[in-house]
Amino acid sequence: MKVLLVEDNERMSQFILKGLKEAGHTADHAADGREGMFMAGGESYDTMIIDRMLPGNIDGLAIIEALRKSGKRTPILILSALSDVDERIRGLRSGGDDYLTKPFAFGELLARLDALMRRSQGDNVQAKIEVADLSIEPLTRKVRRGSRNILLAPREFKLLEYLARHADQVVTRTMLLENVWDYHFDPQTNVIDVHISKLRQKIDADFERPLLRTVRNAGYMLASHD
Amino acid sequence: MRLLRSSALTLAAGYIGLGLAALGLFAAPLWYAWRTTIDEGRVEILQSDAQRFAEVFRREGAEGLIAFINARVGMQIAGERLLLLADPTLKPLAGNLPAWPQTVPAQPGSYTVQIDVGNGPADVAVVHEALPGGYHVLVGRDTSRFRPLEQRFWYALAGAVAILSVLGVCGGVLIRRALMARIFSIRKSMADIIHSDLSLRLPTQRGGDELNTLAQTINSMFDQIEQLLHGVRNVSNAIAHDLRTPLAELRSRLEELALTKPSPEQTFADIDAAVADVDRVIRIFNALLRLAEIDSGMRRSGFIGLDVTEIAAAAVEFYQPAAELKGSMVVLKGGAARGRGDPLLLAQALGNLIDNALKYSPDGGVITVSVEPAENGDVIVTVADRGPGIADAEKPKVIERFYRGDPSRGTPGVGLGLSLVDAVARLHGSPLELEDNRPGLRARMVLKQDAPQIRRAAPATATAASLSQEPAFR
Repeated sequence: MKVLLVEDNERMSQFILKGLKEAGHTADHAADGREGMFMAGGESYDTMIIDRMLPGNIDGLAIIEALRKSGKRTPILILSALSDVDERIRGLRSGGDDYLTKPFAFGELLARLDALMRRSQGDNVQAKIEVADLSIEPLTRKVRRGSRNILLAPREFKLLEYLARHADQVVTRTMLLENVWDYHFDPQTNVIDVHISKLRQKIDADFERPLLRTVRNAGYMLASHD
Repeated sequence: MRLLRSSALTLAAGYIGLGLAALGLFAAPLWYAWRTTIDEGRVEILQSDAQRFAEVFRREGAEGLIAFINARVGMQIAGERLLLLADPTLKPLAGNLPAWPQTVPAQPGSYTVQIDVGNGPADVAVVHEALPGGYHVLVGRDTSRFRPLEQRFWYALAGAVAILSVLGVCGGVLIRRALMARIFSIRKSMADIIHSDLSLRLPTQRGGDELNTLAQTINSMFDQIEQLLHGVRNVSNAIAHDLRTPLAELRSRLEELALTKPSPEQTFADIDAAVADVDRVIRIFNALLRLAEIDSGMRRSGFIGLDVTEIAAAAVEFYQPAAELKGSMVVLKGGAARGRGDPLLLAQALGNLIDNALKYSPDGGVITVSVEPAENGDVIVTVADRGPGIADAEKPKVIERFYRGDPSRGTPGVGLGLSLVDAVARLHGSPLELEDNRPGLRARMVLKQDAPQIRRAAPATATAASLSQEPAFR
């Protein structure tokens, strides 16, 4: 995956570039808005990570707006030190696809990038999602594992569906909060973990191979293979 | 200082000017009335005299009038009245003037002219009457008789002006001195307050003139500044104290790593722990930023019409598995209620309340969330538990920022949970109320549906025990 990073902070850039490289992606880096605008408009990237506030008179939102106006649909993740909900909304309205507040865990950034990629490939219209021997039908809300039907509460279904759409990717607790419950705050206690363990009871308990795995220090993953 | 002085002088000058204007306005009509009355009266008398002479002339002829005038002149005090009868060539026939005055116009009428009456020219009011046969009769009166009166009037006026000016200047100086004394004392007190002790206040008297009211206003401003500073100091202290713990742990962990150079596994474990320490610090900052965001009132722009019951139902469902883990239950009561508000913040506030209730109630308890519309259209949201509740004395404190209840409770939390709920409740129009559920706690939020007012959140407290995720004294 080819990623463009527009970020002015030297250390932050080094940290992200190194992490992306280790995760097997190639990344280009622009250190200010003018350079970012130039590179984003010229080359073709799979995703872009754009800092909200950049030195000079072209800031992150201006780049995004210009890109969207010119018809580019590349998924964009906005990085920002501004955590207000209003700022998040403004970022998403200007054409960003996701918004991550600094400081963040690198796993969170990577997981969100993967999710963006997957979304842009347009696989969420499929009628049936299969992960190993688990099959999910979003329209009829039917879940089967092997030959057995599994009954899920509506929210449990939504949780599983989200995990399945991002199968073999790490999904963080924050991503689950935002996408399954639409909560944008820190619930302070391990409520998400409890929901996951309840779901795990239903889909993994009677099977030899667990699908729903905990990824240490990062989140969860619905794994199709070992 | 210079400005003040000039403003006091301007005030005095203004008073004097005003006094003079009033005096002028009083004197001018008086003067006018006096002049016209006297002038008119004089002319009237002269005219009736002239009429009488004309009558004598008609009845007795020129000879008769000459005798009549001569008799009058003989009786009269010289200089008071001027009489003159002249023939058609203006040659004097009788009277107390030696010749027909050149200054009197040839046309009959009444005039004021200068005539030499023996001791130099004087202003004389005259009536010139034409008689049959071309004779002329002149009746006049020396007006200089009234000059002393006129002069006295002007002297009196000048005296009044002088007295008024002196009084005005003295008054201005006195007022300025009194004002300056009061203002100087206020200035001095304010300087003392600013430079040394913010708990001092300006002296005020009972009963208020303007300066007293001003002093009281300044005092209440100082009250607010002191309270704010106090709050800021407390929050800073609390933050400093509670961030120091995770930061100190982090520092020692990193230092130890650098010194001991342990095995790779141990190193990675320590790094993970260090990241967890940092996450704790970030968590505290995030909670603080969120509070600041709500306090600023900016979020009001995000108010939309919403189904409060639905939000409550989602929150109940969200916490249900965590409750079940403790053998407890969260139930939702009440009917459908819609209102205006911020869905994200309401969800967070409800989440915090349910989370709190779960933490403090015994295992196997029931937490009741209820949403009901009030008669006036407001929406009342309550979260009640059967836990130990909060003592009345503690209630205001638990809402204060960074306050943690009885340390023996030792549960995780940032110490900002209820402050945040309170801030959200205030944003929606009324503060969070903590009631006795006998036993337990019932937290009550009223979502006002008429234009809500921003109310200042509870100030921070210095009694913050801990901000961190774990008790600091573990």
